[in-house]
Amino acid sequence: MTTPRVRMSGIVRRFGSVTALDGADLELRDGEVHGVLGENGAGKTTLLSILAGMLEPDEGRVEIAGKPVSLRSPRDAWAHGVGMVHQHFKLVPALTVLENLSLGLRTAGGGAGLPYRTVRARVAELERETGLHVALDRTVSELSVGARQRVEILKALLREPRILVMDEPTAVLTPDEAEALFELLRGLARDGCAVALVAHKLDEVMGVSDRLTVLRRGRTVRTGPRGEVGAEELVRAMVGEGRGADGGRTTDGGRPAVGGVSGQGASRAGGPRPIVAELAAVGVRGVHGTWAVRDASLEVRRGEIVGIAGVEGNGQRELALLLSGRLPPDTGRARLPSGAGFVPQDRTTEGLIGAFDLVENVALALHDRDEGGPWLMPWAEARRRAEEIRSAYGVQSRDVEVRASALSGGNQQRLVVGRELGRARNLLVAENPTRGLDIAATAFVRGELSRRVGGSSGADEPGVERPGIVLISSDLDEVLALADRVFVMVRGRLVPVPESRLSREGIGAMMLGAPA
Amino acid sequence: MRLGIPLALAAMGEAVAERSGVINIGVEGSIIAGALGGALGSIWFGVAGPGVVAGALAGASVALVFAAFAIGLGTDQIITGTAVTLGGLGITAAIYQARFGATGTALTLPTLDAGRIPVLSEIPWVGSALFAQAPTAYLAYVLAPALWYFLFRTEWGLELRAAGEDPDAAAAAGVRVRWARFWATILGGALAGVAGAHLALAHAGTFAENMSAGRGFIAIAVVVLGRWNPLLVLLAALLFGAASALQFLLQAIGWDLPYQLFLALPYLLTLAALAGWVGRAHAPASLALPWPKEEFRG
Amino acid sequence: MVARLPRRSRGPLAIGALAVVTTVVLAGVVLVLGGYDPGRAAGAMWRGAAGSPSAFFSVTLVRAVPLVLTGLAVAIAFRSGIWNIGAEGQLYAGAIAGAWVGLNVGGLPAVLAVPAVLGASAVGGALWALLPAVMRIRLGVGEVITTILMNFVGLHLASYVVRGPLQEARGVFPQTDSIAEAARLGVMVPGTRLHWGFALAVLLAAGAAFVHGRTRMGFRMHAVGASPGAARVAGRIDTGRVWTGAFLSSGAIAGVAGGVEVAGVTFALYEGLSPGWGYTAIAVALLAGLSPVGVLATGTLFGALEGGASAMQREAGVPSAWVGVVQALAILSVIALDRLRRRDEGGLLSRASGGGATPGAPPGPAASMAPPRSPPEPPARGATGG
Repeated sequence: MTTPRVRMSGIVRRFGSVTALDGADLELRDGEVHGVLGENGAGKTTLLSILAGMLEPDEGRVEIAGKPVSLRSPRDAWAHGVGMVHQHFKLVPALTVLENLSLGLRTAGGGAGLPYRTVRARVAELERETGLHVALDRTVSELSVGARQRVEILKALLREPRILVMDEPTAVLTPDEAEALFELLRGLARDGCAVALVAHKLDEVMGVSDRLTVLRRGRTVRTGPRGEVGAEELVRAMVGEGRGADGGRTTDGGRPAVGGVSGQGASRAGGPRPIVAELAAVGVRGVHGTWAVRDASLEVRRGEIVGIAGVEGNGQRELALLLSGRLPPDTGRARLPSGAGFVPQDRTTEGLIGAFDLVENVALALHDRDEGGPWLMPWAEARRRAEEIRSAYGVQSRDVEVRASALSGGNQQRLVVGRELGRARNLLVAENPTRGLDIAATAFVRGELSRRVGGSSGADEPGVERPGIVLISSDLDEVLALADRVFVMVRGRLVPVPESRLSREGIGAMMLGAPA
Repeated sequence: MRLGIPLALAAMGEAVAERSGVINIGVEGSIIAGALGGALGSIWFGVAGPGVVAGALAGASVALVFAAFAIGLGTDQIITGTAVTLGGLGITAAIYQARFGATGTALTLPTLDAGRIPVLSEIPWVGSALFAQAPTAYLAYVLAPALWYFLFRTEWGLELRAAGEDPDAAAAAGVRVRWARFWATILGGALAGVAGAHLALAHAGTFAENMSAGRGFIAIAVVVLGRWNPLLVLLAALLFGAASALQFLLQAIGWDLPYQLFLALPYLLTLAALAGWVGRAHAPASLALPWPKEEFRG
Repeated sequence: MVARLPRRSRGPLAIGALAVVTTVVLAGVVLVLGGYDPGRAAGAMWRGAAGSPSAFFSVTLVRAVPLVLTGLAVAIAFRSGIWNIGAEGQLYAGAIAGAWVGLNVGGLPAVLAVPAVLGASAVGGALWALLPAVMRIRLGVGEVITTILMNFVGLHLASYVVRGPLQEARGVFPQTDSIAEAARLGVMVPGTRLHWGFALAVLLAAGAAFVHGRTRMGFRMHAVGASPGAARVAGRIDTGRVWTGAFLSSGAIAGVAGGVEVAGVTFALYEGLSPGWGYTAIAVALLAGLSPVGVLATGTLFGALEGGASAMQREAGVPSAWVGVVQALAILSVIALDRLRRRDEGGLLSRASGGGATPGAPPGPAASMAPPRSPPEPPARGATGG
């Protein structure tokens, strides 16, 4: 057996009190696409960042072509032929594509000149070889997400890597773009490259990989050729023994799950519910003055979940802010209830204040309410609510005086969801609510959303108003699993998805703009 | 016009630092340190020339303290800069008081003589203003295009700008961000030190406590006016010098306006410029943000 | 109802205390390097500041008043995320307004005259903060530079005023006449120079503490200062209104500091009224962890420093300018220690980081330098993963 191109053994890496990698192993071989799987937080990005020279391991060995190496910086990694395409693009928005590609190349006399001519020539070559096309003189900030990814890939390819690492490349791509990418990867592997593909979407990875490695909680738990390992086994490896169907929903993709966890949808009795939110031909301008949301019309009723699917960057952000009352419409009419709850996708900068403890974070929802008089803060009430949320939503913390920044991502989200569901008497807008969460927290949040609109109990509980929920998510499976009705957001327009198209393939086509 | 030279020097240095992502309000401290360094150096050697070098070193040292905290430790750049300025003003005043006593008589220093450039200095109106100046002025004229070339036509400059725009991306591309920022800051401090030495040796011929008179703060504004481009910064600084000179011109005409208005004018102009222009000028996106950012959880 | 002192407040207080210790040690080292005797210097300073009741009341506490007031102004602003470096200019603006009123209210009884003077100085200070406020909130221009620029304008304005419109009748010195008797703050402790302005400072500090801890407005200010994004989205707080309020109240209190100095100590306005209190206030506020009650303590401490400085110069030969160095050391100690502490802690959110009321925590003043954003806050940029 030939020596693997890369062998990482026993890698340990800690961040403060968090152990991200606890003895992980990985082998990459020339000519194959190697899928690295694991749920969020399993350590995939960390492991590959070490290979790319961006982090150093606390323990363990990295060998390239059989020789142990010490990768202290990205430059070391390049010297050994490692190229990485990052999940969060590492491009400088204010500079042009050409400048970004040239950054750090140091070909022209050690820094005193600029290597533009060389770069242009190489890019032209690569375009011919791979079909990747970019406009060299545009500023990166002007480019679409897909175009930026092409730049990111070219940047890695420019350095002629023997080892190419791709970190969650499909998060921002439509299904067609993803397929084109996989074709490219297969081609690179055929040319002798060792390709590593990091993802947590099982079906994508299984389709393109020759071999697979599964990480869980910082350790390698399974590795082997694709043929040997089945999907079920992989899921079990990723989530551990004893987790039930909750785990299956998220990683099992491909299975068109319509209707929602509790079988809602058309089966609900009782006639049409009152409308809690209504948009009529609403338009919202985005950051650059262009229309982020166009001519959007929507009705949300009590007790239902409206799902809005779509690739990020098509106006979901603005729509979410609009629906929750944080942003006014520029055109059209919006009838929105007061006190809408909002679970923002970026909990660290918008959902919680890290420096505040649980009580104060809960108080964010209370400071403009009526309890306690017009001038004074209702601290007693805030404390009570915080205790309630902490126990009802399972927020693991010593007490309510712990700073929010000290909680794990899952617990932070539980806090946010608890607070927002509490204040959402009529409407709740949830934007990618399970992003970045582990399996248990993801299942919990989805369960809560379902329950709140009257899930498994079926009948109306008297006196408890059920809000309407708008779920905006770039995770197709999540939308399909939870929503009663589905829309697709494409370039700012809301397109309802008819029954006939309620599947991954159908919605995927719509995301590209195919007629409904 | 003479007043614009120290501004130009300090502002060009600060522009480079800010391009790398560092805003150094401590430049005021570097200027006053440069003034004292210039004074002490020229006294020690008896000639003004070495004083300029001493001034540059003094300014760079102050910037070093700033860099240690703001870049090394990652403390907030504005607060650190304020502290450095406070400390710089205090320490220079204290040293001056200690060595030369609070006697009240001004110090006389060997001066930097103006050197006329033949031909150019004969140009009417601006000739003598621009080209019959101390050597430090000519340094400023030369530096402007040199720094421009460095920033925009070399890879080092590209890396520095990337460090100021998006240090994460720059680091991923192999740029040594903190290193670049460090050197940019030191350079800025050295130039500010030269500016201070110019103040003491070419402009006033003496040292007085707090003689920097806020020029460091104005330099920060000049950088904004000059859109972080060394060539434009030089122009903006000279413009400021002209504005100060305006007061004499207007007095000559006979307008009976309080002189404080003219002293305040540059500041008001800067405010107006900030209000009107800042939307178009684009600051380095990572200006003043410490790097690396604090650890992201998980 | 016990005031909330949650566990996490202990951090900043400990930092402040540790910073004081560090500063003292470093100052001592610097003095030794300069060839001075730190023991003598310290002793002289102690005697000058607190060695006798007269020293304590007439020197230290009197000097503490403007420091506490400007420190409060700065702390209020900083805590809301407004980096007001312009307390100096606002103080002068308040002094000018207060002096003008003080010169013109001779006919009124003290009960009306004094509030008139103080009210005018509050308005003056707030007005001085208005332009930077508008520029920040409407145009997105970082307030650090604008407030500093306004300081200079304020200084020049004061210089003009005392040589021109408000100059003393004699026309000899650049200063105003003495203000009316009725407009003056009386002596609080007989036999000393301590005036009722001190009581006002304590009152304002207590008021600020109450507002911060127990009122809705105070909570909103704290939230906006800690994380404008979360305050806006999760708290649905109108950040523009909060910032405006913070700017204006900060300016007003700094203006009152100027008015109090005129009405209680100098009874007239002249150039150089303030030896840089507006800048020292930054150190005062930071050392106190931005807590109003803490400002009382640190303001008094700095008052002692200043009070003892001239004694130090007289007796130990240490130039009084060293005080500036000590202040700089104090600021650097605080921010360095705070930074080290937060580096130690694992698990921090990348932006809304921990630190309770300490500065440089959530977006420090430096973040307001970032490219201006137009209101209302547009949505965050597109694709950020989890």
